[in-house]
Amino acid sequence: MGKTMIEKIIERASGKKVKVGDRVWCNIDWSTARDFGGANCVLQFEEVTEKKGKVWDPEKVAFTFDLQAPAHAEKVAQNQKTIRDFAKKQGISKVFDVNWGVGQHVLLENGLVKPGDVILGTDSHMNLLGAVGSFATGVGNTDIVASWFKGTNWFRVPETMKISATGTFKKGVCMRDFLTLLVGTLGADGMFFRSVEFYGETIENSTLADRITLCSMVTEMSGKVGLILPNGDVLDWLRARAGNEVDERVKAIAADPDAVYCQELSFDVNDLEPLASCPDAPDNVKKVREVAGNNIDQVHIGSCSNGRFEDIAAAFDVLKAANFQVSPTVRTIITPATRETMKRCAEAGMIQKFLEAGVIFTNPTCSLCTAEHYGVLPSGDVGVSTTNRNFIGKVGKGSHTYLMSPMSAMASAVRGVITDPRDILC
Amino acid sequence: MKTTGKVWKYGDDVNTDVIFPGKYTYTIKDRAEMAKVALEDLDPEFTKSAKAGDIIVGGKNWGCGSSREQAVSCLKERGIGAIIAKGFARIYYRNCLNEGLPIIVSSEAVDAIEAGEEVTVDFDAGQIVTKKGTFPFPPYPEFVRGLIEDGGLIPHVKKSLGLS
Repeated sequence: MGKTMIEKIIERASGKKVKVGDRVWCNIDWSTARDFGGANCVLQFEEVTEKKGKVWDPEKVAFTFDLQAPAHAEKVAQNQKTIRDFAKKQGISKVFDVNWGVGQHVLLENGLVKPGDVILGTDSHMNLLGAVGSFATGVGNTDIVASWFKGTNWFRVPETMKISATGTFKKGVCMRDFLTLLVGTLGADGMFFRSVEFYGETIENSTLADRITLCSMVTEMSGKVGLILPNGDVLDWLRARAGNEVDERVKAIAADPDAVYCQELSFDVNDLEPLASCPDAPDNVKKVREVAGNNIDQVHIGSCSNGRFEDIAAAFDVLKAANFQVSPTVRTIITPATRETMKRCAEAGMIQKFLEAGVIFTNPTCSLCTAEHYGVLPSGDVGVSTTNRNFIGKVGKGSHTYLMSPMSAMASAVRGVITDPRDILC
Repeated sequence: MKTTGKVWKYGDDVNTDVIFPGKYTYTIKDRAEMAKVALEDLDPEFTKSAKAGDIIVGGKNWGCGSSREQAVSCLKERGIGAIIAKGFARIYYRNCLNEGLPIIVSSEAVDAIEAGEEVTVDFDAGQIVTKKGTFPFPPYPEFVRGLIEDGGLIPHVKKSLGLS
């Protein structure tokens, strides 16, 4: 019987033959923590080792500062210092401080992530690294601390579902819309504890940014990880960053032709329309056309889901088609995922145009994924965002959020009400 | 292992932001303090009067949202004997086992149990005894039992390394 990708990854990491449902100890390639949660990991590790503990391998531990970067409050600043001090004491050199951006993206851009790697992080969207075939997973601080003892942790081998997509997106439609279709179709528990493999021409021809968008939202369907086998430009990009070993890794984790899947679904994206996750749940999905004209107060483009150069460039194209004017009645905030993304936006001349149009262009950070950052919404306000969650009050008590693609978000910023981007682009 | 306690019953999709209020994320570090604010935004009555041994009953997808372990720590520290739900969010489920907080998935039991009643969970026999009848659940596999019996993942790892 053939093996799926996650089975092959877990077999490599555990050194054991596994089947669905087995619980095994795996060697961890990276055990990471961010500014949010990281300080608790440090304090817990110091407590349970009576400040005498050494992490198993300082070269395999990394810290990323992304949720509240730079610190906006003394408590946050103190937590960040706790992490910096610990890293210094332990000889951990991979500290991506407040000037880097969203952790997973930063690890990827720095060539630290290879297909087949097992990676832990204190971020529920850690699993977006499945976009390059690595098994990254969001965990609590206990899991991180436990892994620091000897570089291992336990995993249950999940079932795998297979999702195929064919066709090409029409103008104004993109991977985010396909993803929203999936969330709406499968629901909040549609991938319950499962690994998901994505196939088909739509995926194979997609950019890394699109693959990240897709894999980042597996969490919102309760999935463990979404995996895409690197190919084409993505494989070239990865090889250039992470080295030639990635080719062997890709071969090693490719699913067998006779692998067993618990569910197989196929979609055609040719006739897909722009979609929105309406308040107050990601799986409350409607066509943007159905909610067009609704009033909004703020638009936010960014986050680990849709904060890469291609995402911001797609929003830029909509702004350009609208003669570089956003509505004065809406606060429009763009947050690039990483410093590298921001630099590319600057080099492409986009930032200047955004600023002239009245957009707030921020430093790279997770930004408005929580109410702990600038841009918080007051009660009663309605936001449009490209982030991944819109639970009630998520970015401000009593506020509501529509989740959409960067194109739909910018179209709404331009008109000041929810707008289908095709009304501007086509 | 057996636990008996009064039931606090809630609905579907109770997220980690309301189990441990997000506003305390940076201000409360002490576990005893965490226990004092558990479920404050969802049910102030629980916050005021829940006792050690009480049992929480939830609907689908209990513990969804951010990977906030305080949402488990605050209930463990409060002495909650078990959480019975129709389903748990993945990270929350894992955090419970890692903290040694017993959890059980049983839609039938959740539908039968009423708020405020007294329920007994027998982990060895795999039974939930309620007013409306007894509901079976598969006993924990050996691996999970080991984690819970050792008091969670860290004691378990320390034990395996001969550090405790």
